[in-house]
Amino acid sequence: MIEKYEKYIGEHELDSIFKIAEKIKDLSILHVNSTKAGGGVAEILNRMVPLMKELGLNVDWKVIKGDNEFFNVTKSFHNALQNGVGNINEEHFKIYDKWQEINLTEIPLDYDIMFIHDPQPAGLIRFRKGGKWIWRCHIDISNPYPPVWNFLRKYISQYDSMIVSVPSFGRDDIEIPQFIIPPSIDPLSVKNRKIPQTTVSRILYKFGIDESKPLVTQVSRFDYAKDPLGVIQAYKLAKRHVDIQLLYVGSPATDDPEGEKVYNEVVKAAGDDKDIHLLMLPPYSDLEINAFQTASTVVMQKSIKEGFGLTVSEAMWKKKPVIGGNTGGIPLQVINGVTGFLVNSPQGASHYIIYLIRNEKIRKRLGKNAREHVRRNFLITRELRDYLMTIAYVSNRHQ
Amino acid sequence: MMDLDSKGKGILFEFYAAYYPPVYSKLKARSLKELVEGIKKADKYSLFYHIFHPIFSSHLIPEEYSNDFAHWIAESLGDKELAELVSDISGSEPRTVEDVRKDLIEILEPRANDTIGLSEFVFVSCRPIIYKTNYVARSLAEFLDLIQTIPARSLVWHFVAKRVLGITRRNDFSEWLETNFGLTEVAEALSRIDPQTYVNEEILRKDIIKILERMLLK
Repeated sequence: MIEKYEKYIGEHELDSIFKIAEKIKDLSILHVNSTKAGGGVAEILNRMVPLMKELGLNVDWKVIKGDNEFFNVTKSFHNALQNGVGNINEEHFKIYDKWQEINLTEIPLDYDIMFIHDPQPAGLIRFRKGGKWIWRCHIDISNPYPPVWNFLRKYISQYDSMIVSVPSFGRDDIEIPQFIIPPSIDPLSVKNRKIPQTTVSRILYKFGIDESKPLVTQVSRFDYAKDPLGVIQAYKLAKRHVDIQLLYVGSPATDDPEGEKVYNEVVKAAGDDKDIHLLMLPPYSDLEINAFQTASTVVMQKSIKEGFGLTVSEAMWKKKPVIGGNTGGIPLQVINGVTGFLVNSPQGASHYIIYLIRNEKIRKRLGKNAREHVRRNFLITRELRDYLMTIAYVSNRHQ
Repeated sequence: MMDLDSKGKGILFEFYAAYYPPVYSKLKARSLKELVEGIKKADKYSLFYHIFHPIFSSHLIPEEYSNDFAHWIAESLGDKELAELVSDISGSEPRTVEDVRKDLIEILEPRANDTIGLSEFVFVSCRPIIYKTNYVARSLAEFLDLIQTIPARSLVWHFVAKRVLGITRRNDFSEWLETNFGLTEVAEALSRIDPQTYVNEEILRKDIIKILERMLLK
C-alpha cells in the first residue's frame, strides 16, 4: 500500500520514511482518540495506522468510551476551546475526570509511546505508567475559553511534547516542545483520487449544474465563520462582469444549531438566481465533493475564521486556483499570487473571481503550482513522516 | 588527468540526510522593532529555519526573496528595498547563523520602528532529525555519480546545515575532498558557493556539479 504513494512523492521521500521508521522500530506505539469513524481525526487514523504497521512499527489504536453526558461535556470543551466562550461548571470537569478513570479499563497505558489525539482522552496522563506521551491537538487553541484551557493545561503540561497544526495555534503558557504539523490529504482516497470525466459529468447532471458554464465552488458548512453570505456577495459582484455559476456545498451538522439559521439566510441572499446552487449533502459524500472540485473553474474558501481548511488542499490537489480568506491555515496553503489569492473582503474575492475566469493561462499556472505545493507539503505521507519524527525526538532517537 | 578511481587516503564519505520539523518558539513580531528583538532572542535553529531552510522549494515563500524575514518585510511591511538587502545577506563559509544574526541586527536595528505590519511574523524553530542514507562514496568517481542522485536533503545537510549550525567549520564535501584527496582548489571553489541566496535545492546541486565537473574532469 505505502508503495502506491511513490508515484506522488518520489523514491527519496518514501525511502526517508522507512529510514526514520527504522529509528523507532523497537518502540510500541498507541494512538488514542474518541471515535473510530466520523470526523477528520478518525479519517486520518484509519489511513495512518495501517501505514505505520506497513513500516514494521508496533502500533495500535484504541478509542475511549463515554456516555452521552461525557461526550456532551467534551463537545462543549471543544466549542469553548475553539470559540473562546463557554458555559462550563465544576460538574463538567468532574464528569470529564470520572470518564478518564473509567477508561483505565479500556486503554492500556503501558506503551512506549502514548499518542493522544485531542482533548477528549488528554486526561489519561493522570494515570501515566511510564513511556513518552505526545498530545496531538487537531483544533484551534489560540484563543480558548480560559476556564477550560486552564483545566486541560494542567494535564497537557505533563506530556513530553504536543503538536499543533499551524504556528499561530502555539501556546505561550506551555513549556513542553510544540511541534507544528499541518494536517494532510490522502491522494488515494475517494475524495482526492482522479475520477473519470463521465463520473464528473453524471454527478453535475444529477445536481442540475451546467457543465458548459464556469463554476465557482465553496465546500464548507453553513457557518458564519466560513462567510457564506460573503461568498454570495462576491459571486453577485463578479456576475455583473462574467457569466458564472456558484456552487456552495455544505452538510447538515446535527451538533450545530446555528447551521439552519445560517442556511436560511444564505437561501434568502441567493434569491431566485438559477445560477446559484446551494447543496446540503450527507456526510461522506466524498465522490460528489471530488466531482464538484474537479469540475470547478475556481474554488473559494472565503473563511473569516478557519482551523486549517483542508478543503483548500483538496481543491489545489485537483489543480484549482483557490481564493481563500487570510486566516488560520489558509495562508499556509494559498500563497498569494503563486497558488491562489488571499482576500479580506467580498470585493477582493469578486475581483479575483473575475480575474481568474478571464485568464485561463493564469488559472493553469496557479493550478499547477497549487498541486505541486500540496504534493510537497500536504499529503498524508508528510504527516506520517512528521509523526515518526516527533516520536523519534521524544524518545531521543533523532540524531 | 585526474585519477577518478582514486580512493585517496581511504576515508569513506557516508551520506546522511536531515529533516527539520518545525517547533513553535513563542516569539512573534508585528513591527520591525519586534522583529529585531525576536532575531536577538531566537535560538540558532530558528534562524537556520528562517534563513536557510527556504533553500528547499517545499518551503512556503515565493522565490523572489531567499529568506522568510525578507519575505515578511516585503509583504507585511511593504518595504521592498529593505527586503532586498535582507534577502542578499551573506551566508557563505565560514559564516554560521550567529554571523547572519549579527548582520541582520546591523541592517535592521537602525531602521527599527513601531509601524505594525499587515500580518504577524511567527518565529519557528526546528529540531533536526538526521538519518543515514544508503549512499557511500569511496572514490572521486563514485562521489561525482552520487552527488547527482543523492536526496536533496542529504546534499543540504552536508553542504549547508552542518556548517551554518556550527557543527563543522566548512562544508563536508570540501573537507573530504581536501582531507582525502588533497584537492584544495576544488574544496575552495565549493566553499565559495553561498547557499543563502538559493531558494531551490536542485539549482544548488547543479552549481555544485558544475564546479566538480569543471575541476575534476579537466
